[in-house]
Amino acid sequence: MTVQSKSRLSFLTESRVWRSFFRHGWPDNPLDRSLTMTSNVFFHLHPVKVSRKSLRWSYSFGLGVISAILFAVLVITGVILMFYYVPSIERAYPAMKEIQLSVPLGEFTRNMHRWSAHAMVLVVILHMVRVFYTGAYKPPREFNWVVGVSLLLMTLGASFTGYLLPWDQLSYWAITVGTNIAGYAPVAGPAMREMLLGGADVGQNALIRFYTLHIAVVPLIMIVAISIHLWRVRKDGGLAANDVAASNRAANPKAK
Amino acid sequence: MPDQSPVTDEIFPQHTNKTYALVELMHGESPLVGKGPDDTVFSFPVVLLWEIVLLLGVTLVIFLFSLFKQAPLEAIANPLITTDPAKAPWYFIGLQELLEHMHPLLAGILIPTILVLFLVALPYIDHAREGAGVWFSSARGKRIVALTALYTVIVMPAYILFDNAFSLRELLRNSAPQWVAQGLLPALIILVINVIPLLVLWRWKPSTREVMLTLFTILLVSAVVFTLSGFLFRGPGFKMYLPWQMPNGYNPFDGL
Ligand code: HEM
Repeated sequence: MTVQSKSRLSFLTESRVWRSFFRHGWPDNPLDRSLTMTSNVFFHLHPVKVSRKSLRWSYSFGLGVISAILFAVLVITGVILMFYYVPSIERAYPAMKEIQLSVPLGEFTRNMHRWSAHAMVLVVILHMVRVFYTGAYKPPREFNWVVGVSLLLMTLGASFTGYLLPWDQLSYWAITVGTNIAGYAPVAGPAMREMLLGGADVGQNALIRFYTLHIAVVPLIMIVAISIHLWRVRKDGGLAANDVAASNRAANPKAK
Repeated sequence: MPDQSPVTDEIFPQHTNKTYALVELMHGESPLVGKGPDDTVFSFPVVLLWEIVLLLGVTLVIFLFSLFKQAPLEAIANPLITTDPAKAPWYFIGLQELLEHMHPLLAGILIPTILVLFLVALPYIDHAREGAGVWFSSARGKRIVALTALYTVIVMPAYILFDNAFSLRELLRNSAPQWVAQGLLPALIILVINVIPLLVLWRWKPSTREVMLTLFTILLVSAVVFTLSGFLFRGPGFKMYLPWQMPNGYNPFDGL
């Protein structure tokens, strides 16, 4: 960096406004790079340093990060769809038609929401598979694995409750088939099914219940659970690939 | 008197009675006081760039997919007209396939419950730290996974086809009560399918991790087989067809 551009930069990064936002200088040195991560609420989920091993693509395939990205895409496209959708059995389907036909980019937004939802279920499953086969559920990561299992179940729940909302034949019968399975449980089964549907059949009560679960309850719990999950990845010492690097080092301290 | 101990012992003493030592005054990058040399990099900006690349990549793929493939919207929901076939969403269709082969209590409740409990309990059963952070933990682990996958990919489709051709429900209609033909027998079959590889493995004196590798691989491959069977090979009446020979122009992919 030339002296001139450096001083222009420090004019910016030492200004009252910049400092009120970031509380640290331009991140071109170890201290400011550390502060960038620790003094920012979003970056704070990351560790300050990571091992090269855990960054290797062939270790994690980035599947956890991709899950989180898909979740974000779903929240954004979902909120856009909420501006037009009405959870009533008379108006839901016409609202879908309107989104498809007359809302600007409505069909595109719906496509993005639906394909991201399918992709997220798939990617979260693949992420779990990679975590399992790399043995990353072992101590100290047991709890984060359990948080992960709950995230998988919630991902399925979010997808399933969203499936009913278009109120077309596909969604109606898929949910009917799906909730019938719950009804087979002994003793509590029929009651559970009725609690989920708010009645004996898939109708207005079911639609409003699924809608509320889909747009509020499940995503809110997921945001909290994902935050815990990512924070725990850091607290557990980064990815499990780090542990291998660490134990190799303990066995052979001179090795690089 | 010159110190005789090797340099690494001096910097990273293994056994010492001293409670303090001035090792060196240095200008360095790492805040990792008291730790050996490590192979780490600052998260800023490497990890963030990595995440931005994934963000752009994922969004681009979804953008393109959403431009070219429209989300389905069938006719408005009608409780009086059943669609044929009526399928659950793809991530539950494995369960629907399972329901074809056994009592709903077993397929819809017991097996899913056992699977979730298995996932939750997994890190508490296999709690040794060895083998974390490495794909399949070892070369032997890799072979175990490959052989188990091969075994399951043969046995599970065979079970589905066999049970489809000679349904226990039909064969034993008059000779055994339903809970035997639909509950006990299929449960035993599934159990035996799981136990055979474990018995083979037993002769290799497996670690807990290797037992888990076997069980998880059976679970994963079975889930894929049942999902593909239900999704691709079931047509009208939920009967078996080859995907390219579906009657009535039924296309499984229309139901995504
Ligand atoms: C909404 C779903 C999920 C999100 C957004 C998510 C996100 C992440 C991220 C970003 C990481 C960092 C490493 C990586 O990218 O692979 C991670 C690691 C991890 N995840 Fe998830 N995850 C989800 C679901 C799950 C599930 C279903 C499981 C297991 C049942 C799980 C268990 C773990 C564990 C144990 C780690 C540490 C991995 C290691 O140390 O190598 N997560 N997760």
